[in-house]
Amino acid sequence: MTIVKQLLFSFLSIIGFSILYGTPRNSILKTSLVGAMGWISLYISSLFFDSKILGTFLAAVTVGILGELFARYYKKPATVFIIPGIFPLVPGAGMYYTMLALIEKDFISAANKGTETLFIAAAISIGIILSTTLSRSIKRVKSKN
Amino acid sequence: MDKDHNNRLEAKKLLLLSILAGRIMLGSGAETYRVEDTIERICKSRKDIKYADAFVTPTGIFASLEFKGEMLTYLVRVKSIRIDLNKINLVNDFSREFVNSQMSIDEGLRILRSINKTKNYNLLTKVLGGSLGCAFFSLLFGGSLLDFISSYLVGLAVILTVNSIDKYKMTFFINNFIGAALASILSIFTIKIGIGKNMDIIIISSIMSLVPGVAITNAIRDTMSGDFVSGLSRGMEAIFSALAIAFGVGLVLNIYFKGLL
Repeated sequence: MTIVKQLLFSFLSIIGFSILYGTPRNSILKTSLVGAMGWISLYISSLFFDSKILGTFLAAVTVGILGELFARYYKKPATVFIIPGIFPLVPGAGMYYTMLALIEKDFISAANKGTETLFIAAAISIGIILSTTLSRSIKRVKSKN
Repeated sequence: MDKDHNNRLEAKKLLLLSILAGRIMLGSGAETYRVEDTIERICKSRKDIKYADAFVTPTGIFASLEFKGEMLTYLVRVKSIRIDLNKINLVNDFSREFVNSQMSIDEGLRILRSINKTKNYNLLTKVLGGSLGCAFFSLLFGGSLLDFISSYLVGLAVILTVNSIDKYKMTFFINNFIGAALASILSIFTIKIGIGKNMDIIIISSIMSLVPGVAITNAIRDTMSGDFVSGLSRGMEAIFSALAIAFGVGLVLNIYFKGLL
């Protein structure tokens, strides 16, 4: 039940953000599907592993691969699918809790939260890198043939 | 002689067209490599152009092409970036069509100018959509129905404010700072009048429209394709946006915890 709820809410949330970023009308649902799949992989991995960083990495890889596939299939730039799709993964909450801990002068948990936030941002990046590099090398190999 | 002169004008126009295409893309938040690629493709698609190259950074475009042994070079500064995925998509389609057909350069310029003016959604739709995104985000974080409503209202106010102070051309740092501070003040306010329950969730979801997701993604994609200057400058943008948001939230919360609000 929770998984259906998470899927629905993330889907609707990304529809909202993709309108804010001016996604082409005929791609909104596809973009939101990409993003919702990313969020669901974060959720599923949180059931098995106790690491937000690993989950975010897996989610970013999912968004990246699906985004590149959709881009190839619908002949649109991959950015159209990846930017709104990555949105719910960005560690806004981590930033907030780091600041909160700093204000409460709880420097140990500020350092904890801060490092986690940094690593989540890095995990998003590495996930995207992996899928983009993969898709580019596949393209290169194909054009050589 | 006269024909040669005409051709030279055409080559100049071609360079202008490619730069306009690049400028629209860059100003809408496209990655550096895509902009460079588009400019080169457009220039090389016409005959007599043997060499064309572009160097793109998030703040400006340099492009040059060689026409019958003569180098033509242009430089454009790009001052503000406003994310519009639809424009990136339209220019992408346009460049594919321009390269594969014998479209005249004037026709191409006309199409590009009309692309530059298109607005996919009006401001109201964008604001309502964005705040709906914030509101559903609060549910993802385990918020209640009350949190949903207050995140919607706070998100709406934040996006509207950030959009309307945009025209005063203050830096992105001040914009984000004001947005984040406003988000925290209004969230505290909703708690005080009783329509919000979890302050943390409301603040986190209403600052989601400000967090530098696009800058992070593009910084990495630029760095990976070897555009280190662009990657670094977009990375700086991401770091400073995040700092501005943290300062905004931090300032207001600090005042709140001291009991002054």
